[in-house]
Amino acid sequence: MGAIETVGLTKQYGRRRLLRPHRSRGDVVLALDRLSLEVREGEVFGFLGPNGAGKSTAIRLLLGFLHPTAGRATVLGLDAERDSVAIRRRIGYLPGGVAFWDSLTGERLLDELTGFAGRPAIRRRELCDRLELSEETLRRPVRDLSRGTRQKLGIVQALQHDPELAILDEPSEGLDPLMQHAFYAVLDDLRAAGRTVFFSSHVLSEVERVCDRVAIVRRGRLVALEEIDALLAHRRRNVEMRLTGAAPALDGVPGVTAVHRFDGRLTCQLEGDVKPFLAAIAGAPIADLTIEPARLEDAFLEFYEDESEPPANAAVATGRSPR
Amino acid sequence: MNGALLRHAWRANRSRLIVVSLALALWGALNVVIYDSLGDQVRAILESGAVPPEFARFAQFGGGDFLSLTGAVALGFIHPIAVALQLMFAVGFAASAVAGEHQRGTLEVLLARPLARRTVWATLAAAAALFVATTVAALTAGVLLGAVATGRTAELGLANLPLQWLNTSLVFWAIAAVSLAASVSFDRLAPAVGISLAIVLVAYTLEVLGSLWPEARPLQPYSLFHYLDTKANLIGLPHWGDLAKLGAVSIGAAAYALMVFPRRDLAAPA
Repeated sequence: MGAIETVGLTKQYGRRRLLRPHRSRGDVVLALDRLSLEVREGEVFGFLGPNGAGKSTAIRLLLGFLHPTAGRATVLGLDAERDSVAIRRRIGYLPGGVAFWDSLTGERLLDELTGFAGRPAIRRRELCDRLELSEETLRRPVRDLSRGTRQKLGIVQALQHDPELAILDEPSEGLDPLMQHAFYAVLDDLRAAGRTVFFSSHVLSEVERVCDRVAIVRRGRLVALEEIDALLAHRRRNVEMRLTGAAPALDGVPGVTAVHRFDGRLTCQLEGDVKPFLAAIAGAPIADLTIEPARLEDAFLEFYEDESEPPANAAVATGRSPR
Repeated sequence: MNGALLRHAWRANRSRLIVVSLALALWGALNVVIYDSLGDQVRAILESGAVPPEFARFAQFGGGDFLSLTGAVALGFIHPIAVALQLMFAVGFAASAVAGEHQRGTLEVLLARPLARRTVWATLAAAAALFVATTVAALTAGVLLGAVATGRTAELGLANLPLQWLNTSLVFWAIAAVSLAASVSFDRLAPAVGISLAIVLVAYTLEVLGSLWPEARPLQPYSLFHYLDTKANLIGLPHWGDLAKLGAVSIGAAAYALMVFPRRDLAAPA
């Protein structure tokens, strides 16, 4: 059983008017379209997409804040709509752009949220230490805290009761690079402790750094669902070589595309297995060779490079990138 | 109902509650003191016939008058100053309880906890009821203090003050229930407060208009304020049917909120 399972989860905002349906088309927005995915227990799962892709809608459906138009979702084996309260007893949630009651001190805020949750904040001290939230900082009213410090408070409130599943919406937003790394270390610990983390982001480097698997959504539809390593393996790597003699023949070599030769240099793109490429350049007069590692960012941009083109349904079914 | 949320609402509002309660207590006492100082002269003027009846009607604003202590107290309870102060919680708190939290983004943090929406509503309704009951009690206590200070307790009907407290509380509980119903219906504060205030303003206008202009009297039953009868309460002859109607409005608004709130989508705050 997965920590999160969705089957054909669909959310449509707005409604068609009975009397003037032709005037209502602009009111109806398909925010999420038949999302089917499974997040396994104990994994850190990245949920990627640009603003408006449907990430927050999906999260709000999992939490029971929204009611699905079609499909269903289960969280920790419980129905997201029917058993919402029981689910929220076992999870931690960090909303995107989290807001708090400004007049409360950080400490009071965390205490009150613990009171609402009805579970002891067994990890608060440790999390505050790791995110460098000092007692002095926690004694200040929330309105006096910087955006980054509020975000740290948001992370602490989501994780302080050691939830089985953490749902984090843009968790590193507002954190400085040092704190981002401290946060990634917290995620690593959660994974090591067997906790599941589902987090949405458009910071691709962090997804690449911390996630086991990633789903990419575009215009409310799932366009890829893969292991990070597998996703990167399918990405094109940029290759550049400086030559001292004749360029090797790369045309027709499996996985090699976009070959360009100029001024004693050769550039190309390499995808998939590297062995045929290495065999093709063996013995070539190469003075220098650079293979730029595949980055998730490149993978991500490939999914979005042609916004006018609708996503291929095949990608949803196979979990592979559209070509 | 959730105790932690109730304590949270109490802590967030206690300073405002103290200030409003003190202001209402002062207002209640002031009404009695003013009547004690000027009541006889005003009555003499009105009974002399020097004031045309059209103008004399203004002394019966909202069902109160300046001809007796109970009339003066009734005037104090329906006066715009007292009503505005009471609305700080009956509309200000109730209308923002859900819509305001949603707009600020704090409802999301709250509902991420294992709290059913009905529980959240019930707790906020209880808080609103408590705040209204407290401010009405302060106003009633102020009247009592004023009567004690001026030595007019015998005219007031002390035993009937709890009845007056109940009647006034029922009016503002009904307004709070309507405001909470508006609050659970909107994602933003402005429409929730706007609709609640519009309902109160229309109700108040109908009641006052009917008290000053006989032709408008048939409109008064459509006003919640029409069912606040201070003079009848203070002489120990309350209109139980009116109290029941106020209770019915509260129950109706609560039923609507309990039906709508759990079913509606809570989109991300803008």
